Formats: sequence, structure tokens, C-alpha cells
Amino acid sequence: MAEEFTSFLIIVLIIMGVALAFSIGANDETLAPLVGTGVIKFKTALILGGFAVGFGMVFFSEGVGKTVGANILGPGIKYTTFMLLAVLISSILWLIIGSLAGIPLSSTHSTIGSIFGVVIVFSLFTGGIEPSTAFNWEKLGNVVLSWFISPLFGLLMTFILFKIIAKLYLIKLKGMNQIEKSEKSFTRLLFIAVFFAEIWVGANSAECIGIFYGLYDNGSINQGEYYFFVFICGIFVFLGIYIAGRFVIKNLASQITDARPSEGFIIQISSSIILMICTLMALPISHSHVIVFCILGLNVAQKKEIDFKAMSKMAAYWVLTFPIAAIFAGFIYFGFISFGFF
Amino acid sequence: MNELDEKVLKKLNIDKLTHMFMDEINEQNLKLIEGIECLLEENFDGFEKNLKYVIKSTTEIQIKKAFESKIFKSKLMFSKADRLKLFSKINDMKNIGEFLANKMLLYKVIFPDEKFKLQVLSIIKSIKELLNNISEAVKSIGSDLSKSHDICEKIKEVRRKMRKEEWILLNRLWNYDMDYLSRTFLYLKELIEGIMLLADHIKNFAEYIQFLATKYLIFD
Repeated sequence: MAEEFTSFLIIVLIIMGVALAFSIGANDETLAPLVGTGVIKFKTALILGGFAVGFGMVFFSEGVGKTVGANILGPGIKYTTFMLLAVLISSILWLIIGSLAGIPLSSTHSTIGSIFGVVIVFSLFTGGIEPSTAFNWEKLGNVVLSWFISPLFGLLMTFILFKIIAKLYLIKLKGMNQIEKSEKSFTRLLFIAVFFAEIWVGANSAECIGIFYGLYDNGSINQGEYYFFVFICGIFVFLGIYIAGRFVIKNLASQITDARPSEGFIIQISSSIILMICTLMALPISHSHVIVFCILGLNVAQKKEIDFKAMSKMAAYWVLTFPIAAIFAGFIYFGFISFGFF
Repeated sequence: MNELDEKVLKKLNIDKLTHMFMDEINEQNLKLIEGIECLLEENFDGFEKNLKYVIKSTTEIQIKKAFESKIFKSKLMFSKADRLKLFSKINDMKNIGEFLANKMLLYKVIFPDEKFKLQVLSIIKSIKELLNNISEAVKSIGSDLSKSHDICEKIKEVRRKMRKEEWILLNRLWNYDMDYLSRTFLYLKELIEGIMLLADHIKNFAEYIQFLATKYLIFD
């Protein structure tokens, strides 16, 4: 009976993990600048973008998945099915609350925060493991550090890239015709940058792949099944963009028809390079945080006015996501433990 | 009024059509000014001929149609809306000119004295300068936005000077010792205000061009 229940829970987790992959695709707005410029047809952009995210998720996500699903934990501790369930419930609920309150939150920060809360509760109430040894603190420290460093690098990279391109090329453009022609060329570069970014967005989707790696690491699924589910996630992230993501993309694209492709290119290439480096270093980071700082970097380079009030509000939410998700997940898992579900 | 060849118009690009439209409207507005100069000289035939030219001219409609069909199909990415707005701002110059011409034709007036005439001539000279400058600024947008920006700065300066001249003229008009026929007074008042309406539009247009320059140009 208990075994049947555990199997049932594993199936629930797999469905939730796959649904998470779908929602990653559904909320991906990376294609918006490309659609806004009208460089390719909308449906073609969705298919190519969806394929790129799926490709990134299937082929490059293992390192990040391993970090979330196993490596941030200390020696001798593995996720139980209920721990993973508490992590998923907490991060999903916290993201829903954030969306309803209009607060932009990072699903990566929320997932890692939830893991932190769950593992602390596990070590405190189930015995056998000290909270001090429950984590691979070096790895966890690197992950948290990367959340601060990656947006700052995004800002810096966009700033420098814009200054170089402006100094060597953009500043020399004098008339509207010349500028229009140049921006037309930038749309081709933007096309490449967006698909490059999509690959690394898929590859850095830690919250989804981490769950499957956790299941593989605790022996709930074997290696073949793990790769199979990663592949299924790749398909669902594609479907997420194609079926549901189109609304977000269309909406955003209609608002940015005035945006310059050259600026879009600088932002996308900077953010995707940061994402690529972090993915290759197996560090799960927030794509949206990096993008926001890249936009900020561009504004600083162009000496545009910055809304510091809005920025500090956003920063406060970002900092609070981790502890709140941790407390939230901790309570949920504590509830499971109270009923004897470890 | 010269009819334009539709085939030739179809071959022209958006930039050339905008320039052609600007030239056409500029020519019509200069005719309007020429008409007012005739009125100052009490050459009523010349006055009527010039103002009727402005009213009856339809060449710009042909250019406008060619432009609209071209821009609708064009693959311009982010300057499309700005080019449309630019075109409509030029068109507004025609509308103001036509409105003024129709109004001026309702009555004919003899100016009160030489000093008043000289001051009207001074305002006319300034409006001519504005018209020629805005035409040059529009034509430079495609090739050199900095140049357009600088020309627009000059336009704003001239318009500031005109505002002072306008108050001097109106002050003179309101404080004449003799009592004028109310029609004469109203006509002269509306003539001055009409010219200033065109000047104000050109100034707003110049500010829009400066906005375009700051939007498109990347500064060090």
C-alpha cells in the first residue's frame, strides 16, 4: 500500500515537473523583440524559438539539473519524494501569489529557497543529519553568489558592448535612412542572438530539470527514464511556447515596435552569454533578473533616467524571495512530517 | 497647377515622395505669402490669383496618395510611424495655408499706413524664412539629422522674434486714433493671427524634428 502511494506520488511529481516545463515555455518572452521587428513570421518564430528552448533543455541542462537535484545537498542526504513535492508546491504557490500581487519573482530563486527550507526542516526534525552538514555550502554559496553577480555582469556587459558598438559604428550614422538601413542589418543579428538566448534559457531551467534529477538521484527513476523525461520536458517547453507563450509574446511584441533592433541585439547577446557561462558552470540563475539588469545597463550607457524607486522595490522582492520561499516550503514539509510522511 | 505623372510617382521612394510633398506645400505657402505682399501693394488681382492657386491646387493629393500606398506596403521597421507623422505635419501646413487663403479672400482691405505695412512685411519676411528652413530641415532628415536639428533651432529663434513683432503690430492696430470699420480691423487682426498660426505650427513641427533627432541619433 505504502509502495503504491509512493509510486502514485512519483507520477504526480513527474506530471508536475512536465507541467512546469510547459509553464516555462508559456512564460518565455525572449522571442518578443524578434516578433516586434517583424523579421520573421510569428508562427515560424514560435516554432524555431520553441525548438531552441527544447534543444537547450535536452542537451545542456544536465549540469544545472544536477546542482539543484543533488549537488547542493550535503553528503548522505538525498531528496525524498515528499521533500520534492513540498519544494514544488511551495515554489508554485509562491509564484502564483507573486503573480497575483503583481510582483515579478524568479522561479529559480523560489525553487532553491524552497529546497533550503525543506532540507533545514528535514535535518531538524527527522534526525541523523545536522543542518550544518545538510548542504554543500560551497555549492549553495556559489549559486547564491551567482544570483548577485550574474545581473551585475549583465549590466556591465551591456554597458560595455553598447559603448563599443556606439563608438565604432552607431555614432557614425547620421540620417534616418542610414539608421533604418543599419537597424535592418541588426535584425539579422537579433535573430541569431534571440535563438542563442533561447537555447540557454532552456538549458538553465533548473526548477524543472532539478526535480527530475532529484528523482533520479534518490533512485525513484533510472538513468534512461531521467533522459526520457528530460526529452519529454523539451517537447513540453516547445508546446508551452507554441500553445500558450504566443499570447505573452504577441502582447509584448506589440508594445515594443518602436524598439531598436540594435538595442535588442545588445541586450539579448549580453544576457545569453551570461546564461551560457552560468549554465556551463552548472549555476542556476534567474533569466529575468539578468535581462532587467541588461536593460538597466543599456539605460545607464545611454544616460537615460533610471527609476531607482521601482528598482529598489524590485530588488527587495528579489532578496525576499529566497527566505519567504524557504519558510513557506519548510511549513509545508513540516505538515507532511506531522502526518508521518517523510 | 501641374498634374503629376502617376507612373513617375509610383517609382519614387518614400523619402523622395516626402521631399516632393514638402516642396509642393512650400511652394503653395510661398504663393500665399506672395498674395499677401500683393495685398500690401494694393494689387488685388495678384492677391486673388495667388490665393486661388493655393485653394485650387490638388497636386499634393496625388503625392499623398502615392505616399500612403507606398508606406502601407513598405517593410520599414521602426521609422514607419515617424515618417507617417512627419508627412501629416507637412499636410497640416497645407491645411493652415488653405484656411488662411479662404479667409483672406472673403474681403479686401487697404492697410492703414506705411508703418503698419512695413511691419507686416517684416513678419512676412520671417515666415518666408521659416518656410524655407522647415523645408530644408525635412529634406535633411534622411541624410543628416544633426543638420535638421540645427536648422530647427534657427526656426525656433526666428519664431521667437516673430512673436515680438506680432505684439507690436497688434498693439498698433488696437491703438490707432481713428476708428476703423470693424471689418477692416477684424481682417487685419485675423491676417496677423493667421500668419502666426502658420508660424506656430512650423515651430511645433521643428520641435518634432528635434525629437526625432534625439530619438534616432546616438550621442557620445
